[in-house]
Amino acid sequence: MSGLIPRAVAVGGMLLTSLLGPAALAADAGAGKSAFQSSCSICHSVQPGQNKIGPSLFGVVGRKTGSVTGYSYSPANEAANMTWDDATLDKYLEAPRTVIPGTKMTYAGVKDAGKRGDLIAYLGTLK
Amino acid sequence: MHPRSPTLFAVLAIAGAAWIAPFGGADAQPAPAAAHLIPQSLQIEHRETLEQISLLARRKGPVGVAAAKVLVLYKRHAGREDEFVFPPLRLLPLLAEGKVTPDMAWALPMTDRVRAEQEQIFDEHTQITEALNELVAAGTKAHDNDAKEFAESAVADSLTDLEILIPTILLIGDTLHSKLPAAH
Repeated sequence: MSGLIPRAVAVGGMLLTSLLGPAALAADAGAGKSAFQSSCSICHSVQPGQNKIGPSLFGVVGRKTGSVTGYSYSPANEAANMTWDDATLDKYLEAPRTVIPGTKMTYAGVKDAGKRGDLIAYLGTLK
Repeated sequence: MHPRSPTLFAVLAIAGAAWIAPFGGADAQPAPAAAHLIPQSLQIEHRETLEQISLLARRKGPVGVAAAKVLVLYKRHAGREDEFVFPPLRLLPLLAEGKVTPDMAWALPMTDRVRAEQEQIFDEHTQITEALNELVAAGTKAHDNDAKEFAESAVADSLTDLEILIPTILLIGDTLHSKLPAAH
C-alpha cells in the first residue's frame, strides 16, 4: 500500500505535466501575485466587473481580447481578435506595443520569461 | 585711465543691456515659452501635481524615495508638455467655432512634433506609470493613503492624456494643415 501512493503521485504528476506543459508547472503563482501587486494593480483589479485604468483581469485567461463589459478599450485592443492564453499572454506581457500596436497600456513589459510565467500562472488563478 | 576705458565701456554696455532687455525694443520677439502658454486648466493640473509629488518626495523612507523618482520623471514630462505638447490645445475654442486663421500657424511645428514623438511620449507615460506603481507599493507598505491616492489619481490623468489630449492635438494639427493656406 505504501508503495502505491508515491506511484500514484508520480502518475498524477506526469498527467498534469502533459496537460499543462512544463512551463506552467514550473511557474509560481504566489510570486506572480506579488509581481502583479507591485506592477499591475495600480491599473487592474482582479475583482469581477471592477474596471480601473485597465479592464478587470478576473477570468482573463481564456477570454477574447477587448471583451470585458463596460471597459472602454483602445481601438487597437478592440480589433486585436486574439484569445488570452498562456502563449498570447506571454508574448503580450513581454512587449505589449509590439503585439498590439496602439494599445494604451502603459507597461514596458516583463523581459524575464520566468517572471512572465509566474504572472501568467497567477492570472490563471483568477476565476 | 586709458586702460580702464574699455572695461568701463563693457560694464556700461552690460548694465544697459540688462536694463533694456526686460522691456524689449520695438522689434523685440516674445520668449517662445511665454508666447504660447498651455490652457489654464492644464497649468493648474501641472502645478498641483508638482506640489503633491514634491510634498511626497520630502517624506522619509521608501515613500519619499519612490516619490522622488516620480518627481524627476514628471518634471521632465511636464516640461515637454508645456513646451510643445499642450500649447496647441488653446486653439480648440476657436477651431470648434470653425475659425482657422493664419496666425494659428505657430501651432503646426508643435503638432507635427507631437506626431513625430508619439512613441516617445507614450514611453514617458510608461515610465511614469511604473514609478507610480512603485509609489503605490511603498505607500501600501507604509500605510500611507495619501501616496496611494495620489498615484492612482495621477495614473488616471496619464490615461486622459493618451486617450483624449494627444489625439486632440493631432486632430488640431490635421485641421490646421488642411485649412491654412499652403504658404504657412
